Amino acid sequence: MRKLLALLGGLLLFYSSLLAQNRTITGKVTSDNGSPLPNVSVMIKGSSTGTTTDSDGNFTLTVPPSARALIFSSVGMDLVEVSIVNRTTVEVQLKPTDKDLQEVVVVGYGTQKRKEVTGAVSSVKGTQIANLPVQSFDATLGGRAAGVQITVPNGLLNNPPVFRVRGTNSLSLSSYPLIVVDGVPSFTGDVSQVNAVANVLSSINPNDIESIDILKDASATAIYGSRAANGVVLITTKKGKSGNTRVVYDGWAGWTKPYGLWELLNAEQYMTIKNEGLTNANITNQKFLPTNGPDGNPIDTRWYDYVYRTGFSQSHNVSMSGGSQGTTFYFSAGYTDQEGILVKNDFTRKVARVTLDHKANKILTLGGTMSYSNEVSKSPNSGSVPGSLFSTAGLGRIPLVTAPNVSPYKNDGTYNLLGNAIGVMNNTTGQVGFYNPVPIIDLNRAINENNRILGNLYLMLKPVKWLTLRTQYGIDNLNSDNELYWSPIHGDGFPRGNATSTLAKYKRWNWTNTAQFDNVFADKHTLSVLIGSEQQRTTSDGFGLSRQDVTDPFFTDVQGSYVTPNTAGLMRGANYLLSAFGRINYDYEKKYFLTLNGRQDEYSALPEGFKKGEFWGVSGAWDIAREKFWSKLENVVNSFRLKASYGTVGNIGGLGDFSAFSLYAGGLYGDRGAFLYNQPPSDSLQWETSKKFDIGFAFGLFNDRITGEFSYYKNDIDGLIYRIPQAPSRGIPGNALLQNVGSMFNKGIELTLNASVINKRDFSWNASFNIATNKNEVTKLAPGIDEFTTASDLETVNITRVGEPLGSFFVVRTAGVNPANGNRIFINKAGQQVQYQHVVPAGQSRWKFMDGSTAPAVGSQDAVLYKSPIPTYFGGFDNNFKFKNFDLGVLLTFQGGNYVYNGTQAGLRDQRFWNNHTDVLSRWTKAGDVTEIPRIIFGDNVSNGSAFPIDVNVEKGDFIKVRNIYVGYSLPRSILSKANITSARFYISGQNVAIIRSYSGPDPEVSSNGNGNTNPGVDRNSIANGRTITVGLNVGF
Amino acid sequence: MKLKKIYILPVLMALTITSSCKRELLDASPTTQIIESEAFDTPERILGQINGLYASIKSGQYLGGRYIVYNEIRGDEFLNELTNGVTGLQTWNHTLGTNTAEVVNLWNAGYYAINSANLFLDGMQAKGNTVAGDALAKNYNGEARFIRGLVYFHLLQLYARPYWDGNGAKEGLPLRLTGNKGPGANDLKRSTVAEVYAQILSDLTFAEQNLPLNYSTAILNVTRAHRNTAIALKTRVYLAMQQYANVITEANKIVSASAPFTATTGVQHKLEADITNVFKSPYTTLESIFSMPFTANNLPGTQNALAHYFAPSATQFAVPAVGNGEYSIKTTGILADGGWKLTDKRRSFIWTHPTNSKRYLIKYQTGPAQTDNVPVIRYAEVLLNLAEALARNTNSVDARAVELLNAVRQRSDPTTTFTVASFPTVQDLISAILIERRIELIGEGFRSPDLLRLGLTIPGKGNVNAINPTQSEYIWPISAQELLNNKLMTPNP
Repeated sequence: MRKLLALLGGLLLFYSSLLAQNRTITGKVTSDNGSPLPNVSVMIKGSSTGTTTDSDGNFTLTVPPSARALIFSSVGMDLVEVSIVNRTTVEVQLKPTDKDLQEVVVVGYGTQKRKEVTGAVSSVKGTQIANLPVQSFDATLGGRAAGVQITVPNGLLNNPPVFRVRGTNSLSLSSYPLIVVDGVPSFTGDVSQVNAVANVLSSINPNDIESIDILKDASATAIYGSRAANGVVLITTKKGKSGNTRVVYDGWAGWTKPYGLWELLNAEQYMTIKNEGLTNANITNQKFLPTNGPDGNPIDTRWYDYVYRTGFSQSHNVSMSGGSQGTTFYFSAGYTDQEGILVKNDFTRKVARVTLDHKANKILTLGGTMSYSNEVSKSPNSGSVPGSLFSTAGLGRIPLVTAPNVSPYKNDGTYNLLGNAIGVMNNTTGQVGFYNPVPIIDLNRAINENNRILGNLYLMLKPVKWLTLRTQYGIDNLNSDNELYWSPIHGDGFPRGNATSTLAKYKRWNWTNTAQFDNVFADKHTLSVLIGSEQQRTTSDGFGLSRQDVTDPFFTDVQGSYVTPNTAGLMRGANYLLSAFGRINYDYEKKYFLTLNGRQDEYSALPEGFKKGEFWGVSGAWDIAREKFWSKLENVVNSFRLKASYGTVGNIGGLGDFSAFSLYAGGLYGDRGAFLYNQPPSDSLQWETSKKFDIGFAFGLFNDRITGEFSYYKNDIDGLIYRIPQAPSRGIPGNALLQNVGSMFNKGIELTLNASVINKRDFSWNASFNIATNKNEVTKLAPGIDEFTTASDLETVNITRVGEPLGSFFVVRTAGVNPANGNRIFINKAGQQVQYQHVVPAGQSRWKFMDGSTAPAVGSQDAVLYKSPIPTYFGGFDNNFKFKNFDLGVLLTFQGGNYVYNGTQAGLRDQRFWNNHTDVLSRWTKAGDVTEIPRIIFGDNVSNGSAFPIDVNVEKGDFIKVRNIYVGYSLPRSILSKANITSARFYISGQNVAIIRSYSGPDPEVSSNGNGNTNPGVDRNSIANGRTITVGLNVGF
Repeated sequence: MKLKKIYILPVLMALTITSSCKRELLDASPTTQIIESEAFDTPERILGQINGLYASIKSGQYLGGRYIVYNEIRGDEFLNELTNGVTGLQTWNHTLGTNTAEVVNLWNAGYYAINSANLFLDGMQAKGNTVAGDALAKNYNGEARFIRGLVYFHLLQLYARPYWDGNGAKEGLPLRLTGNKGPGANDLKRSTVAEVYAQILSDLTFAEQNLPLNYSTAILNVTRAHRNTAIALKTRVYLAMQQYANVITEANKIVSASAPFTATTGVQHKLEADITNVFKSPYTTLESIFSMPFTANNLPGTQNALAHYFAPSATQFAVPAVGNGEYSIKTTGILADGGWKLTDKRRSFIWTHPTNSKRYLIKYQTGPAQTDNVPVIRYAEVLLNLAEALARNTNSVDARAVELLNAVRQRSDPTTTFTVASFPTVQDLISAILIERRIELIGEGFRSPDLLRLGLTIPGKGNVNAINPTQSEYIWPISAQELLNNKLMTPNP
């Protein structure tokens, strides 16, 4: 046959050479829906001669006699080669390369066609998340993939989002998914050692990301074995494509403002309320009194004005990509400089990436990618990161508590200070605030700077058609510098002054070797077998100086002059993971699919005898639409696949490198070295085990115009590591021992629907909707222990109890405000109503039953489990419209069924000197008043939940957010082609532009405890969230 | 086919790679901490552990400051100035609960030190005694048991009823005498007060018999236990048990028969001529028997230092501003004692606020890094212990008791001389000795134990009511965590 063709071809050639003259080919290029495609590159194969199609998709090209074929290419389309032998007109249809169900999905150590994936994998395209005003890509994933829940904790820049795939899957270890960048597992979390948080993932330029694939079930994740329980997120960065070199510039500038700030009392209202409180407390020798400012008017300070700002941000990215058939390259450089809503909270990133792939010959392919990034995060003490919620220097808290009738400056222009607190001015009370925020903003600083090199080199051999051998060596080197300065003049450094600098070095190498066998037997049996090995070595090394007692306030660097030198940030760790893994994919006639995954891990951090673990997953699918009996339905339901999977994977993330050992640490006894017992052995510690079960179906309607996927998942986790409390009299450091004891499950459903609602030549509308539900329940803790509480710094609001969702709220119930006397009514453990009056005549109790008799004091011992912080459903609704050259997109995200503990509100109703929310104006003042706000009594920190948490501050967390909205306009090609520009688009976009919620605080999407597993849903003194408007430009050359 | 052969080599290479893993890295062990099994391998490590035992009692939660502070402020000499719940407010006003931080943290710190001592004793027996050699082994075992006895004694002072209540029959502490590390017995019932005291005396007697007479340097003599340290502590222990004859027996081992009083064997303890030198660097006077050393690199920690509590703060216009003025001295208490003359050197420890006239204790005034040594035992106390025991034991105005009292008084106030005639009754002498203790030892953590051992009411202060010996607030509650996790533990009445 071939010979015959060759002969024919030769004859034709001969024929055309006889003509021996140029000829003209005309034609038209259309998209797969028939609309003409302008600006498609039309090249003569094997030459650099070519043209592009006009606005109607037509082209005319004069070709030499030797020309045998034309190559049609356009960005985002599959390349098409068409023979022109014996033809003068050519009609070509180009298909988009990324059409959903034909797309390729990245799975562990390989790729698979979407339609052949039997596990649960959600994918997000890089284009969806590029050019958003965020610091790291993970913050953009919310609402874009079913079962993936992203909570941006607050408006602090570079704060790692809470990242959960199908719920929270651990108690004591990490619940953050494994992030793998181009095959190399990345560091995650906040690496900063100072107030300025630094999400490691921000070093990956979102514009460099080609795709994000999120593996969710046992089948998809088992190949990552011991690290897979929280899901695996595979980041694939961009590669060059052969064809013309393409240069793309993406830039945007944006403005961010806080939204939803609490409405606070102004100076006059403040004095009214607080003086009323003093009167009611029978305090006569103190008074809140106005002070005139330099302008002669009474001071009325809006403290928000000193703490929040409109932040200006910008980002610029240039990428160059292209290549010949054998070699492709991608080069990019990015710069972003972002200002947060909090003053002096800044983030900059400089990043460059080079990716090169070269096919040396039929057998050998090699390549690699390397990126260098530098990120600088700066922040004052925001009080918005875990562990600092009650910091008196926290700028989330300071504007809420500081009296509005004093100013940061005295009238002579100097700082208004009284010792290490803000000065009281004319007030005759002892205290009107904690620190004066202005000097600590002016004088203190905290900076984290990360320098990171991420890269890998690979070599791939295909000695025979059915065999692919691949070796890849990757590195991840992260140097994290921290710098902190606290002035001796005011705030945390008072009166000694402190400068601390630390350097933490994290290094990882990862060597992966795989062999893959692919073959089709008898045209029906497709078999693919992967075997591989992986080694990963991670080391950490940190040290630093913390110098105190500055000899002169002039010195603000750690290298300056101080009296006391101390060490800081000392750390040294190392771990090693050695693994073997394999996968078998089999299908019969693309109808029946079976996948087996397995992995064996050996991990150095586990104790002797427990280092090795085996993990596996199995899944199957049945494409019913390929069965004969389905043919009648085919016009409506063109595909329908049933899928199921089961397997067991592990979790070990967050376990210390040397947790297994019994250890003595160095210390000092005066000037002598000492060894102190500091860690009990955990010599039987193992991975937490996660048994994941999935069942569901995927379908396509009307020739895939509507596609969808539904799954039910259940994840049973056993051997949860828990710090079992020990009797303190045993004297064991930490009074607890780590053991694998607990169990819990997460279950729910996921539904994804994608629709090409309208697909006309001038107008298209694509919609994508997803929703997931989650039910979490703890089924077992340690023997004899069926609950434990988890603190949010100074306050404890969460309880984890067997039979309930983890981290449920644990508060004292109340029954409103007694209209007769304005007292808050509490409900004690026995169910009795007890009213509280903060100041009572001598000899009386503050606590009384409703009949006036003395009651025992109500306190945290009366707390009960009340409501769950875990959303029962969440998801997103993404809509993209195109009208001629305009495009419009709206991403809505939503969640609900959960409650949020509004601890900030408890503080905002505290009747010490703290300023209040304006809702206290509706306080009880006279018998018969029906109100939510008790009678104001100065000093009362009990009635509104400041002394111990109460149910009043537990609120519904449901919300719908317009997460993202954009309008773009692409310049017509007719204009662009004159300037040699391929594409140009201007857009304006908004983030967090609107929110519907019943929550009384700024935003129910909040997590003051960050990624904490067992203290979620707490809103305590965190700074607000930001609303960002950006304008941007994308240009391609 | 030829092509395939060429590529057999890389295939083999790949297989080699696969097998060339670094298995030894799976056995990663820490390089910055010492594994327990190797902790007794060298004499240096054992000495390091001894220092570690001292460091464990020196914790800011315990002898680094807070234990001393709690015992002062639950008495009646001090007034709380800042109403800060983190710095002892509830101890001061007797509103402690089982969950209060000081109740939980001191219990933890004390038992951590006890367990450290037990682990050390176990390790010595298993390996360390051989490594250290006989002489040092005796010394180290003595120190560990001294420390264990000291901690049990201190915990008894707050968490159990005084010895006089039922003659030690009341519930004491869970007696843990072997090391704890892995999973094991959480449940252990409380021994009686008498049983715990017996253990303390057994530990201290062992220490006395095994500790060296002295160490090579003055600083070691004041910061590590030697024979006289154990004896000095025994005088305090017997005093708490009201076994006065035993106090005399023990004290006589280290107090000469007549003035100038001095220890005749071991470290030659005596009173320092100028008391202020005792509280100044280098803190190595012969009067200091045992104290906790601090350096700028080894501080008591935030809100733990004695200076933080007692010394005034910068906002109170003090120079130097080393403290936080948490507690002022009640002006109507011991300050108002008519016999305490204004010229008494010990009045120099009292500082008067220039505007509000509040009084602050500046015995500890190193700053801004609060590196004052914390005095645990000093010779003046031993002399007063002996004086009181002599008076009570002889039930007479004992001449030597008067002489001992004089030694302490006249060192700071040469213009006052007590004679036997100064005290019409033995009660007058005892009262004078107790007053002398309040003057001499203020800010050193003696007020509460001195009230409790004698069954005296804790007087009221400010708006805080007095606590009589039958009230539950007379002693501290037991830590809630102990009650929760030790099923045999019983709460204090």
